[in-house]
Amino acid sequence: MDLLGQYLINGLMLGTIYALVAVGFTLFFGVLDVIKFSHGDVLMVGAFTGFTAASAAGALGFSHPLAQLAATVVFALAGTALLGAAVAKWLILPLKNAPRLNILLATLMLGTALRESVRLFYPDGSNPKAFPSLLPTSAWQFGNFTLRADSAILVVTGIAVIVGLHLLINRTRLGLAIRAVAQDEETARTMGINYTLIVLVTFALGSGIAAVAGVMDGLYYNEINFGMGLLLGLIGFSAAIIGGLGNLYGAILGGFLFAALQMVGAVAMPFASAYKDVFAFAVVIALMAWKPTGLIPERSSDRV
Amino acid sequence: MDSQTPAIAIDGIFTAYDKADVLIDVSLVVPQGRITCLLGSNGAGKSTLIRSILGLTPPHRGSITVFGEEVAGQPTHKVIAKGVACIPEGRKMFPKLTVAENLRLGAYQEPSEAEIRRRLAEVYETFPRLAERRGQLAGTMSGGEQAMVSIGRGLMGKPRVLLIDEPSLGLSPLYVKENFRIIETLRNQGLTVFLVEQNVHQTLAIADAGYVLSGGRVVAQGTAEALKTNAEVHAAYFG
Repeated sequence: MDLLGQYLINGLMLGTIYALVAVGFTLFFGVLDVIKFSHGDVLMVGAFTGFTAASAAGALGFSHPLAQLAATVVFALAGTALLGAAVAKWLILPLKNAPRLNILLATLMLGTALRESVRLFYPDGSNPKAFPSLLPTSAWQFGNFTLRADSAILVVTGIAVIVGLHLLINRTRLGLAIRAVAQDEETARTMGINYTLIVLVTFALGSGIAAVAGVMDGLYYNEINFGMGLLLGLIGFSAAIIGGLGNLYGAILGGFLFAALQMVGAVAMPFASAYKDVFAFAVVIALMAWKPTGLIPERSSDRV
Repeated sequence: MDSQTPAIAIDGIFTAYDKADVLIDVSLVVPQGRITCLLGSNGAGKSTLIRSILGLTPPHRGSITVFGEEVAGQPTHKVIAKGVACIPEGRKMFPKLTVAENLRLGAYQEPSEAEIRRRLAEVYETFPRLAERRGQLAGTMSGGEQAMVSIGRGLMGKPRVLLIDEPSLGLSPLYVKENFRIIETLRNQGLTVFLVEQNVHQTLAIADAGYVLSGGRVVAQGTAEALKTNAEVHAAYFG
């Protein structure tokens, strides 16, 4: 029972992180029909920005964990939002009428450039960094099962971000504009929507959400490294694909599904839990063969 | 604003897709408070003219003014901000948005929620059917109902000039008649209308003046009465 509880909270945590990455892929594909492969590395830049902000806040004498946490979140969000909007403005929008493969390749190369830049130019960037523990370390005991406060806070925060995104997309004027652009760019323009602005805001939004995932990952594992975006990006992309690219709820479902597969893999093969990713990706391949358009298929008119 | 300033004045525009000019030296004027029509057969360049005005396919030469202000080369949302609204060809619903969301998008540039609600109420009064179906996805409605959404959406922006592209396309004769009646009512309430149509007789019956486009050039212009008997009109369509 206690082990199952541990797996459950771990799975929820990972599922939330994956879902946060996957919604970015699906938002970008929704408004611009592009796959932005630098997304995972933007997440890594977010985690490093947050790490730097926490260290700087500490060096400036803000030793309280909450002050450092606030600095981490604010700078990680703002930094990646700006980075995402800049990528959209100077790399993706100029390539808008180029073949889709070119955009995919250009963003793939940008991701590599970001990753290598952090490795080469960040002080001691090639080594993992110890991400500070900024959350309360208390824990609750339920029989044999220990629920750590930091895990609970991270899961609740991540889910709150997902709910917030859902409300933003469905209940606000900005969300209405994003959905309109996703369905029919030209008619959306004719309604008086500033198309370029909506694209930039969407990329800022998706990238900011990835930074939340990056910071969550850092706080949970207490470690970040320059290559962390590679696997997280790939998992987020897979989650968006199995959920049905372009569909927000499919991406969230896909994220939790992928985490569940990893947990099943770890439980079913306790002797070889290192193979849990192999198992999860194998199932993803099988799922794609079974449902090529995703679990919640995207029709041409069914974006975001 | 002087009521003599044309709602739209187009002066010598050339518009091209890739390299071939689709509009060649087109000039026309849409005066305020009237229905001005643009007639022409398929492929004459009518939709391209609408796209040029809206900035979706900007002209590479010439000038377009809306209430005296130059808009050629401006992004679409800035043209809309001058008081332009468009009821596009083929209705162009957002199929996965509800009727109410589609209508709200028509008033996207209106910041006041109270004003948006007031306009929604007006549209629902004009089209009671839309009030019943406000929560329904627009893509699941019949063609005639979608036409109502499209017209209502065009009116939600409280435009000073309304561009209407082929309102009769793909609709049953009964709906076409109803649509033309609504357009005439709007003009009688003081709205300026630029009506683009293939349907010569019904269009000239409600229009005040018009232009005929053929092969990307204006080949005839005049009052609706004059156009009814103009040989060029017949030539543009039949020969």
